[in-house]
Amino acid sequence: MRLFRFLRRKSDLTEELETHLKMAIAERVARGQSPEEARRAALHEFGNVPMIADVARSQWGWLRLEQWLQDVRYALRQLRKEPGFTLTVVITLALGIGANTAIFTLVQGILLRSLPVNDPSRLYRIGDRNDCCYYNNYQNDNGDFDIFSYDLYLHLKQAAPEFEQLAAVEAGGNGFSVRKGAEPAHPMRSEYVSGNYFATLGVGAYVGRVLSEKDDTTGAAPTLVLSYKTWQADFAADPGIVGSTLYVQTHPFVVAGVAPPGFFGDRIISNPPDFWMPLASEPVIEGANSSLKGIDQLWLYPLGRVRPGTNIQALQAKLSVALQQWLTTRPTYADHGGMALIPRQHVVLAPAGGGIQRLQQQTGTGLRMMMILSTVVLLIACANIANLLLARCTARRADVAVRIALGASRFRVIREILTESVLLSLMGGVAGLAVAYAGSYMMLTLAFPTAKNMPVQALPSTAVLAFTFVVSVLTGIVFGTVPAWLASYAQPSDALRGVNRSTADRSSLPQRILIVFQVALSMVLLAGALLMTKSLRNLEHQNFGITTTNRYVVSIDPKGVGYTVDRLPALYQQIEDRFAALPGMANVSLVRYIPLGGNMWGSCVIPQGHAAPGPKDPCFAAWDRASTRFLDSIGVPIVRGRNFSTQDTATSQQVVLVNQAFARHFFPNQDPVGKHFGVNSIQYSGAFEIAGVFADFKMSDPRGEVRPLFFRPLSQQFRGYKESDADAAEKSSMYLNFIILDFVQAPADVETLTRRTLADIDPNLPVMHFGPYDAEVAGNFNQDRLLARLTSGFGLLALILASVGLYGVMSYFVVRRTSEIGIRMALGAARSSVVAMMLRGALWQIAIGLALGIPAALMATHFMASLLYGVKPYDPLAFFGAMMMLILCAAVAGFIPSRRAASIDPMKALRAD
Amino acid sequence: MATKTRYQNRIELLQGTLDMLILKTLQWGEQHGYGISQAIRVSSGEVLQVETGSLYPALHRLENQGWVEAEWRKSESNQRAKYYRITKLGKEQLASDYERWGKMVATIEAIMTAK
Repeated sequence: MRLFRFLRRKSDLTEELETHLKMAIAERVARGQSPEEARRAALHEFGNVPMIADVARSQWGWLRLEQWLQDVRYALRQLRKEPGFTLTVVITLALGIGANTAIFTLVQGILLRSLPVNDPSRLYRIGDRNDCCYYNNYQNDNGDFDIFSYDLYLHLKQAAPEFEQLAAVEAGGNGFSVRKGAEPAHPMRSEYVSGNYFATLGVGAYVGRVLSEKDDTTGAAPTLVLSYKTWQADFAADPGIVGSTLYVQTHPFVVAGVAPPGFFGDRIISNPPDFWMPLASEPVIEGANSSLKGIDQLWLYPLGRVRPGTNIQALQAKLSVALQQWLTTRPTYADHGGMALIPRQHVVLAPAGGGIQRLQQQTGTGLRMMMILSTVVLLIACANIANLLLARCTARRADVAVRIALGASRFRVIREILTESVLLSLMGGVAGLAVAYAGSYMMLTLAFPTAKNMPVQALPSTAVLAFTFVVSVLTGIVFGTVPAWLASYAQPSDALRGVNRSTADRSSLPQRILIVFQVALSMVLLAGALLMTKSLRNLEHQNFGITTTNRYVVSIDPKGVGYTVDRLPALYQQIEDRFAALPGMANVSLVRYIPLGGNMWGSCVIPQGHAAPGPKDPCFAAWDRASTRFLDSIGVPIVRGRNFSTQDTATSQQVVLVNQAFARHFFPNQDPVGKHFGVNSIQYSGAFEIAGVFADFKMSDPRGEVRPLFFRPLSQQFRGYKESDADAAEKSSMYLNFIILDFVQAPADVETLTRRTLADIDPNLPVMHFGPYDAEVAGNFNQDRLLARLTSGFGLLALILASVGLYGVMSYFVVRRTSEIGIRMALGAARSSVVAMMLRGALWQIAIGLALGIPAALMATHFMASLLYGVKPYDPLAFFGAMMMLILCAAVAGFIPSRRAASIDPMKALRAD
Repeated sequence: MATKTRYQNRIELLQGTLDMLILKTLQWGEQHGYGISQAIRVSSGEVLQVETGSLYPALHRLENQGWVEAEWRKSESNQRAKYYRITKLGKEQLASDYERWGKMVATIEAIMTAK
């Protein structure tokens, strides 16, 4: 509105001045002068009309805006005149700003975001680490207690009225088979939450109602709340779904309601829950194997809303005391020397406004590193553009000098050049947004290939747009300041002399410094890129101990479609027989958890004749259940004793196979074959006999050492457990979730063939997932691969930018020194010495750049040490490689213009200018 | 940009006095820009010639300060013109300007007549 008033006033002023002039003329005419004469005299007396208007307008404070608009128009005209220059700069900036914006999109989406719930600042989680998913002992050596049992949660809830509401959520999550009516079941993610979960978060229902305390009582009819996205995608947004029944693992659940759009739960993960179920329904699904009923079974994260003004430190201390009280009452934690550990146990209250920080802790280091690297790329791009602008400004010196001579102030000249660079960077920013969208989309797909409904979007948010705008403007100022400053020192008298004739003078110093700076930064990026690439290679091509080529993994869920334990052997037998009959099949096996598949189960091992271990004794061993041919199907040899055989039946001696790490750890310097051990309690220590030892392979953590591991045959269920929960767990371990198909040569239509074969066995048994084993293994390194690719991309970008920069500056020097070179050659300098002279200049900059870049790179890689696998942060090969790449590129970038210099014709050179 | 001007038998206006003269002129009634410049010229006996380049910025400055207000009207010669009128604030300003001016003249006079 003010602008309209301004424009109105502007025309008013023009009219006012015209009136004045008309009156003056009229009076002169009245005095007897001729109209022309009167007009000339009046105008003469009047003076410079536009300038008067300017001065008068400056009284209103609008002149600045007008001048600024003039600057923008002028800058646009300049840019249009040189489309090649403009395009180069905009592309360079689009890459630089785009890279930063893409990374920031992820940083904002993952690290900086609050949960879309009511007043997230008052949410706190009891516990700050991410121990998952089931524990029944102390978690951390320093006593940080972060995962809780249902009983312990209730105890803490009662101890802390400071919480307006304290909810509990499952630490892990579940994949369940969900069926609606007669439709085939399909896999979905779910999470058990306490009845006050939605009330704690302050989230209401979109349709129907959310869970309440009533749903979370023993014996209540099982209910669930669907996520909005699932409701849209899988149930066609049908409001009639509320009140209807869904079968989860064959158990009927009534849909209570649908959560609001945008609500994705209590944490940012790549596969958020499709629905939430009350804790009380856990025993319905798990039966006797229920964790809810296990007083010592730790599997929950408490998440609460504190009352306003609560002292968090005091509450934390109070909860720690409550925790210790509870622990002393529990034999699992207090016996066998556990009492001594209790005083150290404590909880940490962590702000949970951003949800449970698992993904944040997993990706934080990588994201922060990317943030730094992308900033470095942007700096290099800035240096490049500053160089281009510098060269252009020098070319425009005469123009600037004339303008200063005509009375333009230095300030106005600086402002004009800055306007131009900010304009350029804004254009780059807009183009960068497109690059950023593509970039973040690619990163999300690479990092979370199996994501479904992931609550992190590639589309830039308002915060991201603001970020890009600020970065663009800052970038423009950064790369525009130096050239603007230098240009403003143009001497008007220079314009008259030939400023474009020069030798290697001091004015080229800023350009040289920028090149040194670029080389140093590129060195940092390249060294980082080589290290990350080498680390990824080490990770992916390490010897895992298993063979995965030509192997396929099929994931099934017999429990989800209602198989009971007694029906399992027949099913397994059928699967083995049917698949073995397929052409080209070498081995078929069934297993509960596949190696490097990301999931594992474990127990405390007690060798026969040993005392019960204390809570601090490392008795933990992972264990798995597999069919007879399992080890053959993944190419793992038996190094001692024997493999499973068909002689190992439900009624014969319970046997196990252990890995070498197991043998070393539990039976040091002994022959483990024939030894007995048991799990959980000393009374079972004679349960299993070791039949053989197999070669070590990596089971769950591809980075760590091989840990103790044992396998049990699918035929043998241990029926001796007296505790009902142990017995239930044993029963549940009879369900095998994976089929491994080991082909001599895989048929082309392997997936259809597999699905058809399974459908022949049982049409109700869905394939949850099918894929090559190689892909399963590669899935462990998604984030490492992404980091390595991004750093490589950034390194390559830096190398190109630095080379282009050097090339540009060298070419520019050649042009500037044409006449000097002409004279040298006229006086007898050889072409080779001209090339050498030009190259020497370039190499000096490279040398200084490397001298600065190597220590900087050492510092930078020191910080990435935690991300590296099997390679030292100061790996000489990576550093040498980075140096060589830089020198090679620089030499090429420097040689081309140098040769051009040597091909100068002295006669032409001297005549020029 | 200092420009050399021919010496003229006209007195360069002291800084700040133009505003006072404009306000004084307007005290006799509302007037347009041209009228103001003519009035000052005539009442100074052709000694003071107000530059257009000073007059209009000054008028807009006074308007911004709220010391004068302006209105577009037809002039005697049926010409649309912007008429300025002094406000109550402007009158107060004029009084205080005049007082300061008096003191200044007295002071300068004292210096000039000192023996």
